[in-house]
Amino acid sequence: MKRNAINHFISTVLLMLTAHFSYGQYHISGTVKNDAGEPVPLASIKLSQRNEGTKTDTAGFFDLTTSAKEKIILTVTSVGYKLFKKELIPGDSTAHLDIVLLSNINTLGAVTISAGSFEASDKAKGASLTAIDALTVAGSNHDITLALRSLPGAQQIGEQEGLFVRGGTGAETKQYIDGTLLKSPNYPGVPGIQQGARVSPLLFSGILFSTGGYSALYGQALSSALILESIDMPPKSSAYFVAYLANIGGGLQKLAHDGRSSYGFNISYSDQTFYNTLVPQQPSYFAGPKYLQGDANFRIKSGKAGMLKFYTNWSSSEVGMLNPDIDSASLRSSYHVKGVSSYNNLSYRNLLSENWKVDIGMAYSYNEVNTLYKVLNQQSQPVILTAEPLMYSSSQSDIKSDFAQARIVFTRFLSRNQAIRFGAEHFYSRDHGMSNDSTIALTDNLTAAFAEGDIYLSDNLAVKAGLRLENSSVLHQLVVAPRASLAYRLNGNGQFNLAYGIFYQEPENDLLYHTSGLTFSKATHYILNYTRKANNRFFRVEAYYKRYDDLVKIGPVTNNSGNGYAKGAELFFRDKRSVKNLDYWITYTYLDTKRDYLYYPYELRPSFATPHTATAAIKKSFPDINSFVNISYAFATGRPYYDFLYNQPGNTTRIADQGITKPYNVVNLQIAHLTSLFSNWKDKPISGFSIGVNNLLGTNQVFGYNYSYNGNNKLPINLPARRYFSAGIFFNFGIDRTQDVLDNNL
Amino acid sequence: MKKLIISTLMAALSVCTVVAQQSNNSSALASSVKKLDQAKTVKDYQALEKEFSGIAVAQKTNWLPYYYAAFCNASIGFLYQDNGESVEPFSNRGESLAQKAKSLLDTAKQKKELSELYTVFSMINQSRVFINPMTYGPKYGPIAQQYLNKAKQLNPDNPRVAFMEAWFKYNTPKMWGGDKDLAKQLATKSLKLLQNEPSNGEMPHWGQTEDTELLNKYKN
Repeated sequence: MKRNAINHFISTVLLMLTAHFSYGQYHISGTVKNDAGEPVPLASIKLSQRNEGTKTDTAGFFDLTTSAKEKIILTVTSVGYKLFKKELIPGDSTAHLDIVLLSNINTLGAVTISAGSFEASDKAKGASLTAIDALTVAGSNHDITLALRSLPGAQQIGEQEGLFVRGGTGAETKQYIDGTLLKSPNYPGVPGIQQGARVSPLLFSGILFSTGGYSALYGQALSSALILESIDMPPKSSAYFVAYLANIGGGLQKLAHDGRSSYGFNISYSDQTFYNTLVPQQPSYFAGPKYLQGDANFRIKSGKAGMLKFYTNWSSSEVGMLNPDIDSASLRSSYHVKGVSSYNNLSYRNLLSENWKVDIGMAYSYNEVNTLYKVLNQQSQPVILTAEPLMYSSSQSDIKSDFAQARIVFTRFLSRNQAIRFGAEHFYSRDHGMSNDSTIALTDNLTAAFAEGDIYLSDNLAVKAGLRLENSSVLHQLVVAPRASLAYRLNGNGQFNLAYGIFYQEPENDLLYHTSGLTFSKATHYILNYTRKANNRFFRVEAYYKRYDDLVKIGPVTNNSGNGYAKGAELFFRDKRSVKNLDYWITYTYLDTKRDYLYYPYELRPSFATPHTATAAIKKSFPDINSFVNISYAFATGRPYYDFLYNQPGNTTRIADQGITKPYNVVNLQIAHLTSLFSNWKDKPISGFSIGVNNLLGTNQVFGYNYSYNGNNKLPINLPARRYFSAGIFFNFGIDRTQDVLDNNL
Repeated sequence: MKKLIISTLMAALSVCTVVAQQSNNSSALASSVKKLDQAKTVKDYQALEKEFSGIAVAQKTNWLPYYYAAFCNASIGFLYQDNGESVEPFSNRGESLAQKAKSLLDTAKQKKELSELYTVFSMINQSRVFINPMTYGPKYGPIAQQYLNKAKQLNPDNPRVAFMEAWFKYNTPKMWGGDKDLAKQLATKSLKLLQNEPSNGEMPHWGQTEDTELLNKYKN
């Protein structure tokens, strides 16, 4: 017994001695996983009070040695997880830990900046707009720019196509498809009558309508950029056919069996002659209006993330109309325009590596417009007038435009959804032709380089800062445009956004044909807004100030001495929740703007802007009877109009008369109903009909006035007919395009 | 001899600790499952999800707590059906928890369990449709339907499958195959199946509240 005790005593002492001699190295190793059992790589392991730490590897393993002797605290951190802490007492030579991190459910997601823009994308959540929401507003006639007029910021301009945003002209808004410019979005202009869009809006899955402060990746638009993204791949193969009062069309879309490529084409033909016999129009048409349009596309996926897309669109149009001549009661004024256009867009994107992405875009478009103004007598024979000023009533022009663009953008992804983008693009454009008896020739090469960063200063504060350089060959000028925007997210679904930017734009081509020495026009934007999105409702209020400089003035000398300002505030509220199957939004726009440009003798309120505009878009579905009703309403106060007398003494312009038109007040209605023909077919086709009336109440809209040369005769510019009716049927084969079909026909 | 006594005591002690731990675990699961029967609001489900996640990590190889944690997320998704902005994080989390539960099941043998899990997968995909029905519906609606069909194949007498079928038939427009009369029949069938279901420990037994709520809609 005694021997055992002594042995025991000796081994204990030996143990204590050896422990003392092991130089105090404490070894910690283990794994870090999340509560779904997945390893967490690159988790940060730190020992408090000591400058020691390590990171877990891709399997979540870590290994750490410390010479600490006293109690230490081990902390583990990783983005998206709650902090893990464990107290350790160095004693045993190794410790093995299996650490589980609890996730920090980020119920908020990344902050996205939205100053000066409305995004309508297929990834939209809750009450944020989708592309289809924007396009199915009653009265939009398949033209995106008309659909977007139901959003705040755009003016209700009934006699011209385009988007007139916050005191800017339609030419100050540019449209981009997959990064490249859509040079002529609409058919050739006809005085006083809105012309339709060439590209079908159903091509798009994403629409970013920027009313100011847009990204450094885009330029050459003083007021607004409409940034469109085309659909990547159709969900299935399908074919459709539509027949309306004034147009017919059809198309086919085929998706490969492996879902990695698709091709398709669409054709549509519109001739209003028959419709015009049913519904009398103010102008007397001797040709058309007729429009023929065809487009084709193919899309190919490459590798894991690559995508090649090609789109081509070809169209031709003809409109010939007769109106009473404003200067002479016995004469009639004839306008005849023919247009041919082709637009081609090739885009490619791919991941170059885990952190790098490239986007390449190329576009080529050709546009030919043939215009003829004539004055006819009672026997419909052309009259050649030689006396001033009537000799200017006859004119002829034939202008061909070529446009090509190439663009490349690199994106470097950083941690936590941050990124840096940079790239360059080149625009080539060439106009040539004849205008009256003089030759037109204009060639311009514009090069731009840009860079932009998306940085998160904190979980709730995002900043986008960029710079754009533009160089124009025809202007011989290089400009630098800074852009910056910021978003600060508040607790409880609200967010403040701020944007600032400088935007340059070349003067319009018709000004450049005969004048040299012009420079870029410039606009500076300051925007502040507050948005709140929750419970399928979306509230937004925005205020802005725009300063225009170097606008083109035509006078004794044509130069860039014009300027202007625009300021205002806008409200938008959308509710998809309060009433079942009802989706509505209401907007209000206040605009105060003046500019001194072109022929204006001094700073004036331009004729395309009005102080107050209010719109409402309402959509109600009746699922039990498969029907849909869409209503849109727009109200705007009157627009200014002027009688300018040109060529006054000293080569100036004088205002002989001016006024404000009566307010604009239009209700549009569209109804669609789905039927179920051929329901015994295997792939039941979707079919139905839709009817619509624009300006349902038949109110008389006056957009402005035209004056005769001596100012005695003043004719209002109205809609060509009080109301516009549309009625038609649609068939779709292939279950997937259902929503498409509804939207195409609403 | 002394050594023998000491080592035996030590062994007995360690067994006791293990047994104690196990019964702690299953009593924790049982109590959380009981609380689940009373859960109504998003807050209730969020708190329960945390409890189930903790139990899942402690038990490591039991599919049930992962199933329940996924079910909590799916329920939150359904409570947020008119709040499309808030749904996505819960759908995503529910999906990853359900995937983990699936990895712990023997998919060939545990058919009843897999049927319950596929029902939850169906709910999670339907919750994604609530984000924005017009754009997310065409993609996730069919996936939700497919999961439910699989669940039905594995266990045609699963009352929870019958409930989800009733829910789909009630909430789908007629044009796309909805049928309110059929929905009523299915909900009634689900209640009957629930009554005949033997109580089976902590296995899923929800459905009564949901069926009753759906059938009440017909009273108006």
